[in-house]
Amino acid sequence: MAKKDSGKEPSWKADFPIESKRATHVSRREFAKFLGLLSGAFALSNGFIVIRAMAFPDERLEGEHFVVDADKVPVGEMLQFEIGGEDLIPYILIRLEENKWRAFEQKCTHLTCAVRYREDVNKIECPCHNGWFSADTGEVLQGPPPRPLPQLEVVVREGKVYVREGERENRAV
Amino acid sequence: MSNFRKSQNEAHPNKTNTILTGIILLQILFISMQIWLLFGALNNALEENFGFALTTFIGSLLMAIASIWLLRYLPEPLRKDSKNKPMVSPSRNP
Repeated sequence: MAKKDSGKEPSWKADFPIESKRATHVSRREFAKFLGLLSGAFALSNGFIVIRAMAFPDERLEGEHFVVDADKVPVGEMLQFEIGGEDLIPYILIRLEENKWRAFEQKCTHLTCAVRYREDVNKIECPCHNGWFSADTGEVLQGPPPRPLPQLEVVVREGKVYVREGERENRAV
Repeated sequence: MSNFRKSQNEAHPNKTNTILTGIILLQILFISMQIWLLFGALNNALEENFGFALTTFIGSLLMAIASIWLLRYLPEPLRKDSKNKPMVSPSRNP
C-alpha cells in the first residue's frame, strides 16, 4: 500500500503549502530593510537619551548635610553614609589625615559597583573590575572606569562633619 | 510594452548583486557609526554634557534617514515566471 502511494504527494502537504526552506529564507532585500529598521531604532534610542537629559536634569545637592561626629571616624578609615535617608546614591567619607577629609559617591563610574577605600595603598578600589581612583581627588588611576568619582565638599565645624555640593569639577568636561 | 529593462536585468545579473551589496555595506557602515555615537552619548549624558547628546542624536538621525532612503534603490527581485516570457512562434522563425 505504501509502495503504491510513494509516487504521489502525501495529502497533508496540501495543508502546508509553504515549504520550510522558503519560510526561513531571508533574502538580501529583507536584510537591507531590517538594517534600515535597526538604524532607525538606534536613532530613536539616541533621541531617548536627549529627552531624558532634558526631562530629568541632574539635581544638585541643596545645602549642608550632617554626616557624623568627627571623632567617630579614625584617621585612615572610611564611613559609608546616605543623605537624608535617600539610599539611591550611597556616599563614602574618608578621613585621609587628621584634618583632611574627602567624600565621594560610592558608585563606581564604570558599572556602579560599590567602591571602598584601601588604607594600605591610600587609594579607592573598585573590586569588581580592578578599577582604582585617587583617594585625594577621585581621579581614575587605573582600570575601566571612564570618569572620576563625583565628589562632595566636606566641612568640619565644631567637631561635626558636614557635606555639601562642591564646584563639581569632577563632572564638567 | 517594452521589455528592455527585463532583458537588461537578465543579461547583467551582476548589476543587481553590486547594487544590493553596496546598499547593505553602506547601511552596515551607518549602523556601526550609530553604535559608536550611542555609546558616546550614553557616557557623556551621564556627565551632564547635553550638547554632545544632542549632536550625536542629530548625526544618528541623519544616518537613519540615509539608510532608510537607500532602500529606494533596492533592485526589484528577478522573477522567473515562464508565463510572461515572449514566445517565438515557429511561423516567424522559419
